[in-house]
Amino acid sequence: MTRGVILFAFNTEKFNYYKMAEYAAKRINHFLNLPVTIVTDKDSYPADTEYVWDKVIKITPDKNNTRVWGTWINKGRWQAYEFTPYDETLLLDVDYIVNSSNLLKIFDFYDDFCCHNTIDFLMQPNAEQEKLSHYGYNSLWATVVAFKKTNKVKNIFNCMKMVQNNYEFYMNLHSFNTGIYRNDYALTIALSIINGHLTDNRDFIPWNLLHIGSNTQIYKSNENELDSEFTVTFDNWQRGKIRKEYITINDLDFHVMDKELYVGIIENGK
Amino acid sequence: MDIKNLLAESKARFNHNSAKAYLAEKYQSKLIVAEQGGLWKANAETILLLNSFTSANLVLVDTFNSPVKVDRQQLLEKLQQIYETTMEQWYTEWQLLESKR
Repeated sequence: MTRGVILFAFNTEKFNYYKMAEYAAKRINHFLNLPVTIVTDKDSYPADTEYVWDKVIKITPDKNNTRVWGTWINKGRWQAYEFTPYDETLLLDVDYIVNSSNLLKIFDFYDDFCCHNTIDFLMQPNAEQEKLSHYGYNSLWATVVAFKKTNKVKNIFNCMKMVQNNYEFYMNLHSFNTGIYRNDYALTIALSIINGHLTDNRDFIPWNLLHIGSNTQIYKSNENELDSEFTVTFDNWQRGKIRKEYITINDLDFHVMDKELYVGIIENGK
Repeated sequence: MDIKNLLAESKARFNHNSAKAYLAEKYQSKLIVAEQGGLWKANAETILLLNSFTSANLVLVDTFNSPVKVDRQQLLEKLQQIYETTMEQWYTEWQLLESKR
């Protein structure tokens, strides 16, 4: 039974996602001791890379997704099922920082598929769970997905493809208008369809996905690239003034939503 | 700029409540364990329940809401061990935080 991690990384005009993936992969090797496969394209994959991937899969990505800051190449995540060389796979976003061995626990309890259904924000307690719309489903998160190669999982990923290809229809059906394609929403809809619009707790990771959200910054506490200690600062607005607050964290995984911050961590980590 | 200078220059203050919440988040996930075909939380409620019975086997509802027949003593020992280790680590880190007050 083989286990490994698969990452998708396609550089855009603004961000070097390959570099983010390489940083993520080193931490995955260190904390989880798992091999990492990258799905990328020829323009992103540098000729002079020193990192040794378990497998490099080069594809032609769909670049038809635009955010305020530019192109966001996030479509095609459903292909993880087809591309993974492993029997058991962790599909991670490159901006998810593995900082503990916690994810290994998933292999002990999941049936064949699981992802996060709840989130929390570091330094911002009582965060509301994201919904597709006011009266829609609670969003699931495609940031961390564990899966085995079973028929059910194949159907989930095929359904994600179907949702991606008909995204406007599903936006109308579920009354959300993000303007951009989001894997989180496609996964939410796909899993719901496959489960007959019922909720199965066994599909969910039993702890929160931790985000580094707005007004929050994160820095490595020292220069060691693989150290697990980070300092988190938060701009607490009170009576029109910012009161800067901080905590230090270690041995805890987290998702950096702001790519500029993530780049800062990578550059500060060497 | 190193992190100590950055915190000093921005006059950042250590936030005990956020640190407390972070510790709770971290250690709650460490209390979760898969054992005997079920997923359990090594918390006081489950440990006390296991301890209050004397039978060799017991059916419990796990965190996925599935009924699971378990070897009571074996599960009790496992959860007690995880509880003790995790709570000790939590306490140690909490003491370090308190010292910053």
